[in-house]
Amino acid sequence: MSHVIARLPEPRLRALEDAYGAAVAAKRRQVLLGGLVLAALVGLSAWAGEVDLAKFFANLWRFPSYIGDIVPTLRLAHLGEDLAEWYWGLGYWLRLMGETLLIAYLGTMLGGLCAISLCFLAAANLSRSARVRWLVRRVLEFCRTVPEIVFALIFVAAFGLGPVPGVLAIAIHTTGALGKLFSEVVENIDMKPVEGVSATGATWLETVRFAVLPQVLSNFASYGLLRFEINVRGAAVMGFVGAGGIGQDLIESIRKFYYSDVSAILLIIIATVMVIDLATERLRHALIGMERRS
Amino acid sequence: MSATRTQRFEAEALAGLRGLAARHPSIFRVNWPRRLLSVAIVAVLAGLFVSGFWALGFSFARIAGGLDKLVEFAGFMLPPSPGSYATFLTYLMALAQTLAIAFLGTLTAAILAFPFGFLAAKNVIPNVFLHFSLRRGLDVVRGVDVLIWALIWINVVGLGPFAGILAVATSNFGEFGKLFSEAIEAMNKKAVEGVASTGGGKLHQVRFGLLPQVFPVIVSQVLYYFESNTRSATIIGVVGAGGVGLHLYEQIRMLEWQHVSFLVLMILLTVAVIDFVSGRLRFAIIGNAKIAA
Amino acid sequence: MLVLEGVSRRFGAKVAVDKVELTVVPGSFVGVIGRSGAGKSTLLRMINRLVDPSDGRIRCGDVDVTGLRGRELRDWRARCAMIFQQFNLVGRLDVLTNVLMGRLNAAPSAKSLVRLWGVEDKAIALAALEQFDIAGLAAQRADSLSGGQQQRVAIARALAQSPEIILADEPIASLDPRNTRIVMDALQRINRTYGITVICNLHSLELARGYCDRLVGMAAGRVVFDGLPESLTDDVARELYGLEAADVIGEGATSPAAAGWGARSPVAIPA
Ligand SMILES: Nc1ncnc2c1ncn2[C@@H]1O[C@H](COP(=O)(O)OP(=O)(O)O)[C@@H](O)[C@H]1O
Ligand SMILES: [Mg+2]
Repeated sequence: MSHVIARLPEPRLRALEDAYGAAVAAKRRQVLLGGLVLAALVGLSAWAGEVDLAKFFANLWRFPSYIGDIVPTLRLAHLGEDLAEWYWGLGYWLRLMGETLLIAYLGTMLGGLCAISLCFLAAANLSRSARVRWLVRRVLEFCRTVPEIVFALIFVAAFGLGPVPGVLAIAIHTTGALGKLFSEVVENIDMKPVEGVSATGATWLETVRFAVLPQVLSNFASYGLLRFEINVRGAAVMGFVGAGGIGQDLIESIRKFYYSDVSAILLIIIATVMVIDLATERLRHALIGMERRS
Repeated sequence: MSATRTQRFEAEALAGLRGLAARHPSIFRVNWPRRLLSVAIVAVLAGLFVSGFWALGFSFARIAGGLDKLVEFAGFMLPPSPGSYATFLTYLMALAQTLAIAFLGTLTAAILAFPFGFLAAKNVIPNVFLHFSLRRGLDVVRGVDVLIWALIWINVVGLGPFAGILAVATSNFGEFGKLFSEAIEAMNKKAVEGVASTGGGKLHQVRFGLLPQVFPVIVSQVLYYFESNTRSATIIGVVGAGGVGLHLYEQIRMLEWQHVSFLVLMILLTVAVIDFVSGRLRFAIIGNAKIAA
Repeated sequence: MLVLEGVSRRFGAKVAVDKVELTVVPGSFVGVIGRSGAGKSTLLRMINRLVDPSDGRIRCGDVDVTGLRGRELRDWRARCAMIFQQFNLVGRLDVLTNVLMGRLNAAPSAKSLVRLWGVEDKAIALAALEQFDIAGLAAQRADSLSGGQQQRVAIARALAQSPEIILADEPIASLDPRNTRIVMDALQRINRTYGITVICNLHSLELARGYCDRLVGMAAGRVVFDGLPESLTDDVARELYGLEAADVIGEGATSPAAAGWGARSPVAIPA
């Protein structure tokens, strides 16, 4: 059995419909305007970005064909030999990947240490001088806005080719990124313990050590691990500009069309990145678990 | 005087030290295993740190020499200048290219990843196998750096900003696919059930139940990535995929430090403007409370 | 002898403490009373220099507290311990380490920063904990303790400083009646046995009358009463507390021994 909903009298219905219609129209106009702006931006960008769809579709076959080229043919019967040929440079590449990880580790540690020492000065609740705070914040902003590859390029010119500029570039960028995150963590702490400890006559350093650090340490570690993960990816391409790691070999094999090397190195990088992702995630969960338990 | 009477507490405590030690032995006993463990952890981390520097060829002479040169470069950088008006225009055009790469790259990635986000969301398509393989596939795409994607796309469409757009789009596609599906999985089921209860089909449920909820979240995430892509698009030119990075690369190699500092300034300014505009937009769309990508 | 001379503190246009003159004799137990917002906390915090006075001078013996900086300021803070309404312990550290915070000023920084505490410091901290029957909790995390236990840890921390003065800012406002007694008794005991001066902000008049040997009444930042507890008549109290008077004076409970029962004001008290 179904009901018929009583209809409203005509004038009231009209008024309601009009109001609804006006609201919808206003929204439509807004959406239309937004759409127009978006379309204009797309058109402009397509022009500036030299988008050429004809070329794209004409050459799109090259993409799967390139992927096909770099993946070597592996025959089941000769799997061992084929794999050995594909990964002929395994030891060498693994050493380079190790160097890449070391670059990421040192860059993260160095940047993390700088970030820890700067974040307390940048936090509004702990820094004692507004001028110092302003300065530290601008420095951190600069460090994280300039891309690390740019730092790497400049450092290669100053320190010479190799992992040294890579580590320094990653460290500087990490200082900026972690410094900001850390100072936000510090700004969110409970200030009561800080008052409690400093009221006993402790120094600023002691107050930070005993009233602040216990509150922020697990967050710092968690952000540090996330950053390490990002830095591993970053370190893998440092070699593109001569700043050490496996990137140098990768870009050479791409440029010189050593097809199977490209896929071999890429797979090593992807596998390492995935392992690091998983490992840091576990570590972070363990950290959070420890936090809960103790 | 009270000061002397106050000392009485300390004096009493110290006089009773033996009794205290007897009553609370665990506190006065040095916990050697624990102390050794913390020393060992610090030693390993510090050892790896120090030996790492040594292994990678750090030396005081090299650092000192490098810093010396850096100071020298910094001197050469002042005042920042593009040299001529024509070069300035070239740089400006390159910067526009950079913005185009970031904008179109982000937009394309978002549009392509949108359907994938739904496919990879457990609550839309509850197929474990599909879910797993899509997610891992997206992980692989994410695992490859945007510079590497640029090199691959250069093989397809040649040098220039178009390859940059495709590279940004590809690498962001992986990110967005994951983010979108997570956003969709985190959504409130009630609205979907509400639509289903009125007799709406699966598509109706997605269109009227899910979309209105996830749309602001997704737009906010996309804007956030646009900001970060503006930064990566500035360097994508290093491998020849267009934008201001190519000039930066060339000027650094030619040690034209005034140009370098000018380009860096342009980049900083652009990034600041984009951050500001995008922050405003995000605020307008989603409100301050939820700005979390 | 702690002397406040015309001490004022302004927050913007708001005058929190207004030209306070006060002399505190060593070994006394002074209660500072007044309704919330009267300026009690600000007054105490200025003595410890957690807040700097806008005007006036605080002296202790021949030390000009208002002018202290750096090492000398920290030494002064060690001499006048502070106890807070919310305990202000470091929740994630264990109880003993929290008490050892009271030794930071005396212990060498290089050692204490890596938690290599001297045997003497540990003994003093433990003795302080034993005073309040909580030495058994030494290894527990501070935030796992009840409010009453936490406040006793805080008093132990203060005692470990071996201070001349203890400034207690509404130490019992977050506690139930039973813990109120325990904490106030603890303060009284260290006042009597070690001659430590106690200046204690209290909201409840009953408690103030029961424990203090001198009361200072504040209203709108000024000292409006200063005298023996007996001389604080209900009329004066009514003037001090205004509308809150009925709550504060208590419903007929007059014996100081019953202090704390039903004496808490329903008005939220900011720290
Ligand atoms: N940090 C501060 N900033 C601004 N105003 C404050 C601050 N601390 C206290 N006040 C103001 O000063 C006055 C006295 O506060 P307080 O000393 O906490 O009073 P009481 O402890 O007696 O409740 C109140 O009006 C309070 O709002
Ligand atoms: Mg108060």
